[in-house]
Amino acid sequence: MTLANPSIGIATPARSTPRARPREWNLRSHALLLPLAFLCIFPIYWMIVTSLRADNEIFSSVLWPENPSLKNYAYVLHAVPMMKMLFNTFYIAIASTVLQVLTGLMAAYVCARWTRTLGKWMLGLLTITWLIPPQVIMIPNFVLVNQMGLMDTLSAVIVPQIASAFAVMMIYQAIRSFPQELIESAQLDGASHVRVLFGIITPNIKPILASVSIILFISTWNEYFWPLLVNRSMENAVIQIGLQMFMTAEGNQWGPLMAAATLASAPILILYIVLQRQIIDTFVRSGFR
Amino acid sequence: MRRTTKADIIVPVFFLSPALITLALWIYFPLVEAFWLSFHDWNMMPTAAKTFVGLQNYERLLELPEMGPAAINTVYYTIGLLPLTVGLPLVIALMTQRLEGFQRNIYRTVIFLPMIMAPVVVSVIWRWLLSADYGLVNKAITSFGIPKVQFLNDPDVALWTILFLTGWKLIGFSTLVFAAAITQIDKNVMEAARMDGASEMKLSTNIIIPLISPAILFVGFLTVLHGAQWSFVYINVLTRGGPLGSTTNLFYLLYEYGFGNFAVGWSTAAGMLLFAGFGIIAVGCLRLMQRHATYAN
Repeated sequence: MTLANPSIGIATPARSTPRARPREWNLRSHALLLPLAFLCIFPIYWMIVTSLRADNEIFSSVLWPENPSLKNYAYVLHAVPMMKMLFNTFYIAIASTVLQVLTGLMAAYVCARWTRTLGKWMLGLLTITWLIPPQVIMIPNFVLVNQMGLMDTLSAVIVPQIASAFAVMMIYQAIRSFPQELIESAQLDGASHVRVLFGIITPNIKPILASVSIILFISTWNEYFWPLLVNRSMENAVIQIGLQMFMTAEGNQWGPLMAAATLASAPILILYIVLQRQIIDTFVRSGFR
Repeated sequence: MRRTTKADIIVPVFFLSPALITLALWIYFPLVEAFWLSFHDWNMMPTAAKTFVGLQNYERLLELPEMGPAAINTVYYTIGLLPLTVGLPLVIALMTQRLEGFQRNIYRTVIFLPMIMAPVVVSVIWRWLLSADYGLVNKAITSFGIPKVQFLNDPDVALWTILFLTGWKLIGFSTLVFAAAITQIDKNVMEAARMDGASEMKLSTNIIIPLISPAILFVGFLTVLHGAQWSFVYINVLTRGGPLGSTTNLFYLLYEYGFGNFAVGWSTAAGMLLFAGFGIIAVGCLRLMQRHATYAN
């Protein structure tokens, strides 16, 4: 066993009270983390298992499907425009992400370089948005979308999300920690601001842009409140609203409902399985700077 | 020093404009408009007139019977989340610091999972698990001889169910935020304290907790400022504020006034009060955080 022991090489191992040995710590850690891990993953497992059960064993408490079947999926795909809604959500999530990264890059560049004037005000304005609950401004937003004639369209969901405070802040921090001498020397060589931002800074902060994009994609995919106001028909709805509509219509059809929920979360789960370390690190880092 | 050229003024304005216009159009103007609407009577129909009524909406709000319980529930949602987003994660993070390598990564991956799940999906899953008829949780409970619990239909239980679902998504995230803060503490400080014979308990309370207090305060304030908002999805998908109004809160009430009753005046007036209330709390939080940030350094 090669457990990390920070006290190797210092003093003698014989202490008066032999507490906090690695093995004890590990036991205690598992005793705490196993139940928590179970609590976190079991509901998701149960969703998938239920979705795979045949009609006659939906209420079974056996921990796996005894005769796995895809019937529930077939039913959902047939009963509601599932594929259309998944496509809508993809379209909205990708469009919002690309727009937010682009507007974020431009705004963050100003925030990072005009720190005394424009940039300072912009950062202030962005920070305050954090304090404005969407429920407070929902009616004017709703009225505006209506006036623009966008009700029940995909654009209605995208338009208010062209820029996000989160994207600007994250990219701002990346540009701030970028070596300023590189920027200055490029400008002395006559490079324009556009060239500095898109030719020099952007290629160098790609990993951060990728992390930010993933988080933006996940949060747009999961977004609920604004689509709730502007989605009307299933054909033009995002998957979260579609799932709720399906639940309201056929609430106790547990098999199909769990199949719909699994489909609604599949893209995010796949993304998570592939990129979990990056996703966790970005969320946690943005959580406490 | 370069001379200020035209580009130095045009470029930043041009670069800022997409983000700035979006913020103005969808957040700041609407805020002003909501303030203006809060002094008017309107039913959201484009053809209907907006009648100026002065402070009448605000006076009315204080008389509405559902206002008091909703305000009290908002406090429950806010304070009730703290054990799940700060208390429990802090204990877990403190007691599992030494776990390393592969095992640590597996746990990280699993306990973070709820954070990326969509709240609507979470609602649907737990609606099934907690179902009174065939839900697994009730099956487990009754097998111990305890009577069934109506998790979402019992007015005495429903609020706690919603609270638990809101917290369920965040336990893992908070734990990892605290764990990350702990790993950033200088190892020499901890080792020195251990050499001096500090118990693990003492080490936690006297060294680790003060050193990670900025992270603790951050998660705490995030919960206080946004907790009641996070619960909105679960309320709207699972209980619609019921049974008997037991799970409603101020954010949900705003939505009901606006899009249930089309009482724009009430909704915006309540919104302004809510915004002001949470604004004051936020300023207090920021003050406290600034003081602690300097203390930790």
